[in-house]
Amino acid sequence: MAAITERQKLAYANAQAADGRVNLEFETDEGMTLNMGPQHPATHGTLRIVLKLDGEQVISCEPVMGYMHRGYEKLTEVRTYPQVTTLVNRIDWLGSFANEVPFILAAEKLMDIEAPPRAQWIRTLLFEMSRIANISLFVGDMALHIGAMTAAFYAFRDREYVLNQIESATGGRFHPNFDRIGGLKDDLPKGWIVDTKASMERIRDFCDEMETLVEGNEIFQARTRGVGVIPADVAMAYGLSGANLRASGVDWDLRRDQPVGLAWNEVDWHVWTHPDGDSFSRFWVRLQEIRESTKIIDQLLDGLPSGAIMAKVPRIIKVPEGEAWVATENPLGEMGYYVVSKGDLGPFRVKIRTASFNNVAVVPWVTRGVYVPDVVTILASLYFILGDIDR
Amino acid sequence: MIPLSSPETTEAPEAEAPATDEAREELVAALTTELGDAVVGSHIRTGDDVWVRVTRDAWREAGLVARDHLGFRYFEFLSALDWLPSPFGKNEDSPTDPPPTPSTDIVTGYAGGDTRFQVFARLHSFSQKLGLTLKVDIPDDDLRIDTWLPVFAGVNWHEREVLEMFGITFTGHPHLVKLYLPGEFEGYPLRKDFPLLARHVKPWPGIVDVEPMPAGDEPAEPDATDASDAAEGGDA
Amino acid sequence: MGLVESGKLPKPLTSLLNTSRKYSIWIFQWGLACCAIEMGAALGSPRYDVMRLGVIPLPASPRQADLVCISGTVTDKMVPAIRRLYDQMPDPKYVISMGSCANCGGPYWDSYSVTKGVDQIIPVDVYVPGCPPRPEALLEGIVLLQERIGKEDMAARWKGDPIVVS
Repeated sequence: MAAITERQKLAYANAQAADGRVNLEFETDEGMTLNMGPQHPATHGTLRIVLKLDGEQVISCEPVMGYMHRGYEKLTEVRTYPQVTTLVNRIDWLGSFANEVPFILAAEKLMDIEAPPRAQWIRTLLFEMSRIANISLFVGDMALHIGAMTAAFYAFRDREYVLNQIESATGGRFHPNFDRIGGLKDDLPKGWIVDTKASMERIRDFCDEMETLVEGNEIFQARTRGVGVIPADVAMAYGLSGANLRASGVDWDLRRDQPVGLAWNEVDWHVWTHPDGDSFSRFWVRLQEIRESTKIIDQLLDGLPSGAIMAKVPRIIKVPEGEAWVATENPLGEMGYYVVSKGDLGPFRVKIRTASFNNVAVVPWVTRGVYVPDVVTILASLYFILGDIDR
Repeated sequence: MIPLSSPETTEAPEAEAPATDEAREELVAALTTELGDAVVGSHIRTGDDVWVRVTRDAWREAGLVARDHLGFRYFEFLSALDWLPSPFGKNEDSPTDPPPTPSTDIVTGYAGGDTRFQVFARLHSFSQKLGLTLKVDIPDDDLRIDTWLPVFAGVNWHEREVLEMFGITFTGHPHLVKLYLPGEFEGYPLRKDFPLLARHVKPWPGIVDVEPMPAGDEPAEPDATDASDAAEGGDA
Repeated sequence: MGLVESGKLPKPLTSLLNTSRKYSIWIFQWGLACCAIEMGAALGSPRYDVMRLGVIPLPASPRQADLVCISGTVTDKMVPAIRRLYDQMPDPKYVISMGSCANCGGPYWDSYSVTKGVDQIIPVDVYVPGCPPRPEALLEGIVLLQERIGKEDMAARWKGDPIVVS
């Protein structure tokens, strides 16, 4: 028996102390407190949730945020407009291109310029592709939280086809930083249209696959149907947006109802809603959204106008004084930028309204009284991204 | 071969613009009749947006009126503005030159304002497809305002964020604690006089944005398609 | 065990142990931000398939892990949790810092809430640059770490004083 070294003793004591701190789980008069996170698979990263339990039922739930707070709104104040574009890519890191667009549109609104039609169409294309890249991962992730690992592998596999197309057009798999005030950095590469159409076929196959593999699964339905119901008026008071709002039966999509100049109105597509407002309907609505996105992309590719991709803008971008608000329907929901400019190289103040921040605000309301395993499915179905909550 | 879609896209909003503008003027008028003297400023950008500034006492009343009488049932966000020009400049100046003396004049934005801090919130009406930005002045010596929790449940975290970032208190909020930052953090980061220490230790190296613009200096003609455009057209 | 700690392990045995260690790394995924998705793609997707390198990406807890991959922005609020995780891991343990944020703060170099580099709190073995790095880059980082483990003097790693980073 070897002697235990001083270092091993130290490590043991450290580990014991760490255990004592990390899993806060004890009984009080009010029930048991269970700590999920800040690093927990069900919280997509670094959301921490403190649950008060009575047996298996949740009495109250308190999300603790800030583990991913990077201070965006302050950082935008010390950066120029092109630098802010780089930064805001990383808010919702799964749908990066979609984050750039509302900011660029807000700056363009203040400068009173408009990108040429071809640039608008390519923006819409890339916007929808980042939506597919984002939501396809949700589909796999949701299944993963129910307990089905296969779907996550499929999602990672098929997502690559879209990422490849984004990369070949913009140069970045994740953070394209492709949008410029007044247009785009570059035109599309040769052969991109044919490849993209092929990848859209793949994505439609993926949707079919997920429909049979996940959505039709009895266990999946039993775990999600009737769980985490959010009525429409609660959804609106909390400011839920995107598929979470549409799954509660509110027929509202900024792409259709509040066009901001991009090309969604030029093509034929459908906004899906679901009357139930439960976890299943949120999954279902998102799955339909991927299909609609592939339809939008196919039509945009067919009708892509020719022409310039950049309007005439000054070399040094100074945005005139004013305030502007532009919101678009991002993969996670409504994302908007309230830009206050004072005529400088950079914005004076940018309020970033992200979808997940409002979407997660409903968690304490919706988890009251549910069982612990359902907390996981509700969190998964609300679908948030930590960077989008904390900014 | 491929039609340019610009005529339709540019014409459609312009045709609608006068109609929505009337709606916005009606909206301001309705708010004024409901709130009386509490509406102290407004600004309309034709066909785009509307800003209304109310007094601090009428803040919650304004929210209730907008929600119940004007149909603004969708809550977008609530935040605050610090109109003090940053005493540190934008750190975009040359690191060797002495820093420019910043002005301390407070110039507020749309719908006016008299104080350094303003709380503003944005609401949306699905039925009218209109947005509304409400602003309210917060005097420096008394940084507090009524909470909007009875109006919109979703305002909870937004108010906590404003407390943490600006130090503005919301009276009546039951759980007004920090949202993001660790407990020992001092200061209110989004106030303009909060320094970013890393920038003071090391000046920003990329002062000059050197990337050339894709369009170059020459005006880009809409019909001047290059080779790749033609290839794209062939593919489609 | 005693041989390892006293540094009297014969050389062939060391290399045998090192070889077996380097092809059975249990990696704990500490995914924080954007890089977590690329790490997920590298570790979980069929296209990159990290298991062919002898890396097992599914430990149930840090107590079973040999390697932790810190991928993403480390905020000041997160720092205690990361330190805790590192304390829980059994020796010998390795750290990969993935992405510019974990390396040095990245685009948030001037932020008030971001820790400028995870190496301020725990010792890092491999830095993977990029924002975010491609999954291939992470695999390269793992291969480099394996090379390093293969050449390691186990006694030094086992007995050596903990690297103190204050």
